[in-house]
Amino acid sequence: MQKSPTRWLTATLLAACINASTAQMQDYAPVTDAMLHDMPVGEWLNWRGDNRAWGYSPLDQIDASNVGQLQLQWSWALDNTGAVQAAPLVHDGIMFVPAPRGVIVALDAANGDLIWEYRPSPQTSSTDSATGRSAAMPATAFAGVGRGVQKNIALYGDRVFAATENASILALAASTGALLWETQVADPALGYHYTAGPVVANGTLVTGITGCSRYKEDVCFITGHDPRTGEERWRTATIARPGEPGGDTWGDLPLQFRAGGDAWVAGNFDPELNLVYWGTAQAKPWARAVRGTDEAALYTNSTLALNPDTGEMVWFYQHIPGESHDMDDVFENILVDIDGEKSLFKIGKLGILWQLDRETGDYINATDLGYQNIVNLDPVTGELTYRDGMVQRIGQQIDMCPSTSGVKSWRSMAYSPQTSAVYIPMTLNCALATFGPTERVLGGGGVGPVRRNNYVHPDSDGNLGEVLAVDIPGGEVKWRFRTRAPINTATLTTAGGLVFAGDWDRYFYAFAADDGEVLWQSRLTTSTQGFPISYSVAGKQYVAVPTGISGASWSSSLPRELAPELSRPGTGSAIHVFALPE
Amino acid sequence: MKLLSTLATGFVAMTLILSANAVLGQEAGTLSAGVFSDTQAARGASVYSASCESCHAADLRGNSNAPSLLGMSFMFLWEGRSLEEFFVTIQKTMPSENPESLPPQSYIDVVSYILQANNFPAGPTELQAELDILRQIQITGH
Repeated sequence: MQKSPTRWLTATLLAACINASTAQMQDYAPVTDAMLHDMPVGEWLNWRGDNRAWGYSPLDQIDASNVGQLQLQWSWALDNTGAVQAAPLVHDGIMFVPAPRGVIVALDAANGDLIWEYRPSPQTSSTDSATGRSAAMPATAFAGVGRGVQKNIALYGDRVFAATENASILALAASTGALLWETQVADPALGYHYTAGPVVANGTLVTGITGCSRYKEDVCFITGHDPRTGEERWRTATIARPGEPGGDTWGDLPLQFRAGGDAWVAGNFDPELNLVYWGTAQAKPWARAVRGTDEAALYTNSTLALNPDTGEMVWFYQHIPGESHDMDDVFENILVDIDGEKSLFKIGKLGILWQLDRETGDYINATDLGYQNIVNLDPVTGELTYRDGMVQRIGQQIDMCPSTSGVKSWRSMAYSPQTSAVYIPMTLNCALATFGPTERVLGGGGVGPVRRNNYVHPDSDGNLGEVLAVDIPGGEVKWRFRTRAPINTATLTTAGGLVFAGDWDRYFYAFAADDGEVLWQSRLTTSTQGFPISYSVAGKQYVAVPTGISGASWSSSLPRELAPELSRPGTGSAIHVFALPE
Repeated sequence: MKLLSTLATGFVAMTLILSANAVLGQEAGTLSAGVFSDTQAARGASVYSASCESCHAADLRGNSNAPSLLGMSFMFLWEGRSLEEFFVTIQKTMPSENPESLPPQSYIDVVSYILQANNFPAGPTELQAELDILRQIQITGH
């Protein structure tokens, strides 16, 4: 499955052209395992900061007393060719930004100067009148599978690693952006693609595939690769095959009709336990009746703990056995020790905040944040049971909260050790939903059709967006901030006692972490979207936030449908960087 | 008298609309009679390939959050609804990263392509992006 780099000679590379930047790259220190675990202050090396995925910066130059003075320092426009869900990284004063459709940009993190740009194939300037494609749209704009999402990339050694919409993993030279290797992991013609990038765990690149919804003679998986060569070291299925442990949890469905378990959000790593934590999505089609089994369907909708050296599944915890409403629990894993107890916190679309023992996978606690009407939670055992009438029949309309958007999705929550709280970006809505059938044939399947009428959550005072501050481990609500538009970014916490988040209506906010007061806000080019970060260069703290179009199907459709008075431009994807005045 | 006058005016206006539609070669009909042309569906295939395929897949069976546009999935979502609803929904919501970004002709061509992919027959004339006409054409089983 290896591809020779020579096959990719057509790749366009806008190489380094600025002397100062070249000199800057000569000082680029290789990223080590120690750095990834104990992140140097001022860096942002993993997609959620350090290995604990707190989304927290220990920088405190910007604080509650001065955040109101934040000013835009620089911006860099990104292609409007797909969904921006970027998680920028910063190392040695260089910002690496994953942009839509496989583009990666390296910028001087202090002033926004271009250092290099990687593009998977040449750009075109022609206009195709038959397709209506914009002249400004690269030829690759629709070359891959999906919406062109590239959430995160990884830094390790002197390389940048990415996973593509064409189901390949690649390595670039961090200094030049030159393609070093690209490995085809799966066949995109079967629907496979990546939206989440790799993470590095004990010298192995770990990456989860998505696009696993269609019926085929294969199942979804997570792989480990050699970062030097791209060689695949292991592959762990996220679906239990017939005859394997857990294989009896799919009823009598044969292998080809066991779909889903997409690993579409990157995991993270605990080097002390040598475990990688990775979430899996629900089984497909979404509804049990359409899927053809009421069984648990392992290892869907679970948190998996994998040995990064071998791919061995050391433990799993399935959050919603036999999930039936598109309620993923695939999202970020926040690693916090509570009174010496090695915990993992996670929240899924239902808005249930889970606490697991990350060493054993044992259940510790769960808190229903009160926005869902689908399940009952036993907080003692963590067992979920569907409420009466909520396991839907084909063609039966149900009134479900949340809608299939979830109250929480890929927009990660952040944790602050100062307040012992997580800050959760939410979208408050429900739906009258009717789930329909699919053909049970090879190539068929998918998520299944849903007739839906979305509506604003009745407990939200007409607001779609909420940042919810929740104490952990207790689960008490500390404060909530509501706004008409969905919260459309991850949250970022800083040692300056601040929380940053943005909404679909282009606002980017700074909140006081302790009480939620809005201390600063700015309005940007289009929807804030992606993962805000904070870093420092030469002693100066910066805050960066992406803006972008698309996002997920509901990200575009929900505000249009439920907040039609709001609008945003269909362009304006960019990275924006703020700092205090000199 | 006012009522009669209004009705008469309405009748004349309706006649003119129908006449204009006949001149344009487009009248309301049923899907089984063939409301789009092969040429139009072929154009729609090109638009689909450029703007829809990455999410809904080359064979229209969908992927991830993008539903299948074929067979029982398509009929579950659209049976009993009008081509106007189908056309307007696509135009207002797709492509998801940039709704309403294609020319109206591209949207109506894509509608034709999807209908053809669902085994609705082509006919001698092209389907026009005229809401009054599309409203009268129901999506029904065949």
